[in-house]
Amino acid sequence: MKATPKRQPVIALKDVSKLYGFGHATTLALDEVSLEIDQGEFIAVMGPSGSGKSTLMNIIGLLDRPTNGSYSLGNRAVARLRPNQRAKARRDRIGFIFQSFSLLPRLNVLENVALPLLYKGVPLTRRLKRAGVLLEQVGLGDREYFMPRQLSGGQIQRVAIARALINDPSIIIADEPTGNLDSSNSRVVMELLSEVHKSGNTILLVTHNPELTRYANRVVYMHDGSIVHDERTPIGEVPRLARRAMALFPRKTEEDDLAGVSALMRTIPDKPIGLKKRRKPKRRPKAKKSKDRSKS
Amino acid sequence: MFGGNVKMALAALRTSKGRSLLTMFGVIIGIVSVVTTVSLGEGIKQQVVGQINRLGSDLITVRSGHIVTRDKKGNITKVNATTGLGFNSGSLSQADLKVIQSTPGAQKAVPIALVNGSLKVNGTEYTNNTIIGISQDLPDIIKQKLAYGTFFTSDEARQQVAVIGQDAAIELFQELAPIGMTLSIRGQDFVVRGVLDRFAAPPLPLGPNFNDVVIIPYQTAQAVTNANTQLVQVLVLPSKPNTASAIITELNSRLYSAHGQQNDFTVLRQDENLSVTGDILNLFTAFVAGIGAISLLVGGIGIVNIMLVAVTERTREIGIRKAVGATNRQILGQFLIEASVLSLVGGIIGIVISFIMAAMIRLFTNMQPVITWQIVLIASGVALSIGIIFGITPAIKAARKDPIDALRYE
Repeated sequence: MKATPKRQPVIALKDVSKLYGFGHATTLALDEVSLEIDQGEFIAVMGPSGSGKSTLMNIIGLLDRPTNGSYSLGNRAVARLRPNQRAKARRDRIGFIFQSFSLLPRLNVLENVALPLLYKGVPLTRRLKRAGVLLEQVGLGDREYFMPRQLSGGQIQRVAIARALINDPSIIIADEPTGNLDSSNSRVVMELLSEVHKSGNTILLVTHNPELTRYANRVVYMHDGSIVHDERTPIGEVPRLARRAMALFPRKTEEDDLAGVSALMRTIPDKPIGLKKRRKPKRRPKAKKSKDRSKS
Repeated sequence: MFGGNVKMALAALRTSKGRSLLTMFGVIIGIVSVVTTVSLGEGIKQQVVGQINRLGSDLITVRSGHIVTRDKKGNITKVNATTGLGFNSGSLSQADLKVIQSTPGAQKAVPIALVNGSLKVNGTEYTNNTIIGISQDLPDIIKQKLAYGTFFTSDEARQQVAVIGQDAAIELFQELAPIGMTLSIRGQDFVVRGVLDRFAAPPLPLGPNFNDVVIIPYQTAQAVTNANTQLVQVLVLPSKPNTASAIITELNSRLYSAHGQQNDFTVLRQDENLSVTGDILNLFTAFVAGIGAISLLVGGIGIVNIMLVAVTERTREIGIRKAVGATNRQILGQFLIEASVLSLVGGIIGIVISFIMAAMIRLFTNMQPVITWQIVLIASGVALSIGIIFGITPAIKAARKDPIDALRYE
């Protein structure tokens, strides 16, 4: 692994922890995570369900606050921001793409894309004009006045990408954007994200699909709230560990992906996984089941 | 931002029309009851003001019943609402008319009497028209012209002639100027001499609709009913201006002794009619406005309820909006505007229904409700404030939602 060049990172997390709940019901979602991300990186975050990927993304995306540790976004400590400053930072610096249901059903496609500009106070005609340009970029210029329910899953995600881009944010956070899509739609969405990356944006992609790490230049593996492995890879190649996960269990379904990553985590030597109490033990029998299936 | 929120609120209204309409019902009913009541009161007040302008403030009205209580200086201290309502008959008699006519300073005394008896034209009986016995001075006092023909003169005071209102002309004879035609009252034939010009409003306080009346000479009325007419009012015109108060005092003392020391009559200056009418109306208005206020309160509670439901239903939407950068204040504004639009639309529907109600009341009764722009403005303001007051709690709830929890909600 190459040493990280000494540059000013756009995202810097230091010993960030996140606890949910109170007393005996407390769960540790993030366990002293430290992560530095430079401007223009395309990071894929992998890990089984409950490994803290989404919590990490929510904290980076200013939707959530860490319980402990420090987070600075663009050289500025986030802990000091007041709630409306956080909202403005979300609006201007971060674009979100969620797995599903991310469009407002009552607004048409154009209005959905223009939504962040509404909160910035941009006049209506300018908002819609800019939204039209972005829809053109994601190849949906002819769907401006469709309602979200009239679009396919892939089209919805492309609209979500257009919306995430409308404020020219430096960081795009995509939480399993292809989770509900078939492979051809996934490709379209990933190619779009790849183009966005080429224009200089920092992209954080949460995924279960090792194949998608091909688009990233850095892959982070998480388990039980910690980053267990951090690997830089050339764009266009599926990295070593992700490839191993694929080789172990040929990908068939989302469940298989989960099983693959879980199995991979168990094989990683530098983390004594077995000692920690698993939060979702029910995953295990399922993993075994799919293992059997793949053998037969 | 504001315009966008209003547009979104209207879209939300459209997507759940039935639910929104049910929610708005309380506001609609409240606004309709308040606006209609106020417009009725306003209409009556305008009529009375019109009557004062028409009749002059010096005209004195003697009415039956004890309507007002006066202090020693002659100022009204108390209004008796129950006997003050209506064109009621009772204690005034032929003898009182003579007392009034002999009072010094009274130039003219015009008796107004209701005549009982059926009205027939060519054998067909009509019941809608008020038959009134009046002296020949009426057109001078109420300053009304005739559309066709002439009013009866003092020479005709004992003849069987009639002057009718315009609606009566059309109803009884199906023509505008039935001069010389005959109608019959209590079996006696009367020749129509004239048709009154159309009255925009009743010329006398709480009086009948003069467009429907059949007017006959007072003395003839006494004759055909065997002196059994009901004297309801006597209008007294002072001989000199600004002597009305003195004449009222004089009339009061003379009638008081003529009635055997009983206060069962009322003498009012024309402008006092306004305060009497106003006082009676205020009681009535306060009562119906109270019902309206309760209805508005219920409407407001409906708005709280529906907005709380909307906030829960749209939790995910709130999450998305926050994720793309909406501040708490912007979310608050959105839901507050939505509640206000809901309530304001209810208010506007209520105002529209009030206009329809007012038109119906004008058509089917002789009341003339008037909806002024002030009433419309105040009603809209009340509806808007209800939206804001009752929308604030759900809006705060929406604004305080945690973005993560909101995004996870499905």
